[in-house]
Amino acid sequence: MPTNPAKTKLIIEHKHEVPLMSCVFTPNGKHLLAGGRDASIACIDVASGKKIALAGHDSWVGEMARAANDLVLTCDYVGHVIAWDCSGDVPKLRWNIEAHPCTIRALAVSADGKSFATGDRDGALRLWHCADGKLMRELPRSDHPLYGIALHPDGKRIITADRQPKKPTIKVCDLTSGSELLKIEVTELSGYRNVEDIEWGGIRGLTLMPDGALIIVCGRSGYDGPASLLLYDTNSGKLHRKLASTMKGFSYTARCHRDGFIMAASGEIAKGEFRAWHRDEDKSLADTATNGPCTCLDIHPDHKRFAITQAIGKSSYPETGVVAFYEWEG
Amino acid sequence: MQPSLTRRQAIARLAGAAGTAAFAPSAFATSAHRKQLLVLFLSGGASQLETWDPKPGTKFGGPFRAINTSLDGVRIGELLPRTAKIMHRLAVVRSVNSNLPDHEKGHYAIQAGRLAPGYPVLGSAVAKLLEQPGDVLPGYITLRRAGPKAYTDSGDAGFLGAKYEGVRVIDGLPPENLIVPAGINAAALQSRDAVRRAADQRFLRSHAKAPINGYSTTFDQARALMQRREIFDLKAESPKDIERYGRHDFGKNCMLARRLLEAGVPCVRVVHFDWDAHQDNFYWHQMRCAEFDRTFVTLLDDLEQRGMLEHTLVVVTGEMGRTPQINNLGGRDHWGRAWSVAMAGCGIKQGIVHGATNDLGTEVKEHEVGIGDLFHTYLTALGIDSSADYDLNGQTNPIADPAAKPIKAVLA
Repeated sequence: MPTNPAKTKLIIEHKHEVPLMSCVFTPNGKHLLAGGRDASIACIDVASGKKIALAGHDSWVGEMARAANDLVLTCDYVGHVIAWDCSGDVPKLRWNIEAHPCTIRALAVSADGKSFATGDRDGALRLWHCADGKLMRELPRSDHPLYGIALHPDGKRIITADRQPKKPTIKVCDLTSGSELLKIEVTELSGYRNVEDIEWGGIRGLTLMPDGALIIVCGRSGYDGPASLLLYDTNSGKLHRKLASTMKGFSYTARCHRDGFIMAASGEIAKGEFRAWHRDEDKSLADTATNGPCTCLDIHPDHKRFAITQAIGKSSYPETGVVAFYEWEG
Repeated sequence: MQPSLTRRQAIARLAGAAGTAAFAPSAFATSAHRKQLLVLFLSGGASQLETWDPKPGTKFGGPFRAINTSLDGVRIGELLPRTAKIMHRLAVVRSVNSNLPDHEKGHYAIQAGRLAPGYPVLGSAVAKLLEQPGDVLPGYITLRRAGPKAYTDSGDAGFLGAKYEGVRVIDGLPPENLIVPAGINAAALQSRDAVRRAADQRFLRSHAKAPINGYSTTFDQARALMQRREIFDLKAESPKDIERYGRHDFGKNCMLARRLLEAGVPCVRVVHFDWDAHQDNFYWHQMRCAEFDRTFVTLLDDLEQRGMLEHTLVVVTGEMGRTPQINNLGGRDHWGRAWSVAMAGCGIKQGIVHGATNDLGTEVKEHEVGIGDLFHTYLTALGIDSSADYDLNGQTNPIADPAAKPIKAVLA
């Protein structure tokens, strides 16, 4: 029986000492790792709820991704990538590399789990081996910070999203040669304002539908518009659909459920939501408000549960975080 | 009448200078070369926590680390790696409390050294106070890229009048209307100027002199700039040097600032935009600091190699700092209660860190410094007696806020 995205149930909330920005379930689903505004990673045993801290990073932990062979990759603001071996009772550090000289804003693992790509604030784009963290090759860099990467399941293409002022751009490139196959300017997600001459918006997250047919980018519609997802055809670059929340703010993360719906995590000042969408319908399937900005979301490998991270605090200044576990009923 | 130091003060100063070099009527500079001022203005407000006063690993410290510097025991933000290597040449004040978390008010107050309106900003004051007979170029030039940030231009010569207004150079281009229109030959230009002068003379017969003198000076300065347009031609610099400064606006403007100082302009201000990081503070500071760090060190190296730092004070400031607290959108907001400025060059003790903030960076803990204190300090470093008065049509007005004082700890 397909999962009903409207029937969600909160299982448990874990408070955390700092605002949280990212999360990922381990490949075996035993743990959830969450990162935020400190250098440690919160590692929560999904069954027992026991939380421990994983040390290894020197800075805030941002991007995270699940890889094959029980590995989870985590990136930090000073350019390090750590691979955590999650096969045992507690994740253990397998390797730690200085992958970039600055903040890594984008991370993606290939469909076969053997390689991963990283993108940084300076627009550098690199491809690595998951097994040992060795560099495979450097790909042509972007002129703008990279805020999203996806490796296409065909194994031949890499998709990037940059934060170019006024026209955040998606590029589909040949993974081997790096040559550009397609470019999509996502002006809808630009929050540029002339009065400050600053780009306040931009693409904040990028993911692919599991079949690789659609690119999903997250952000905000205009300077002060709703949290939005834009879906583009991967082959033609044509806009498939714009999915706009009723809440003003940014969408930060989108994840695809195996039953075909998309889950998005979004936030605004001191509030947030997660929302489910069908790729072909303008109206969302379900939405749930959260106490603080919902900064990230991940679906458990069993696709029966999911977790969100939040930043919690009065007014504009969150000082703590929350990890909340949900399940789909029935 | 243009304001000047009072007769009493001039006599006192002259007496103080007895036996030393000849008295310079308006500058009072102690060295043979006229002192000059370069202000690098980080507009929007740089975060002290990502630059001069890092608090890594603390609640509000942010994601970046602190790095060692060339100064024993002093660490600054890792986004300034080149600057860290020249910290022994800088004086950093970590205890500024302007208490003005506002762009417009902050821009004016930090440059005027006062809250009260109508006073000349630092550049205009220095243009006046370091003025020498025979000066033809403007005394104060401000360089910035085109942009809509009107608050950047707030405040100017105040009661000193038009003569000391800052000349704005946008995008490195000579001020507008410096180029003689096509079809106007030298004779026609001279003829038009003669008409203007005649009109001025007629007007002066029945009106106060001050405004006309100011405007006349502006014409003279414009004419001088027209004759020195080569200053603005950065093509004269080698591609390698342009690369060293950085090909961004700030790099080009800093190179131009050096050329203007070399040409004898007493005060140049370079505005570096986009520090107002209400969102994604850490993203913005990586970008801005990368530009600033490289250009700043290149500029200081060049000034030093040319012997210019001996008579040039370099001030790095913004209109405020940024909140220690990090907001929902990863930004830091406006904060005036505990932030930092840096100085280098003439009149400054090298390798000094003055003042301190508390562990979280929320308040000044030690040696609090106000905007008036900074203003006094800058003038003193330039050899100007900041306790003196302007004399404006017989009415005296303190050059700097009498309630404030120079920061002796950072003065050489």
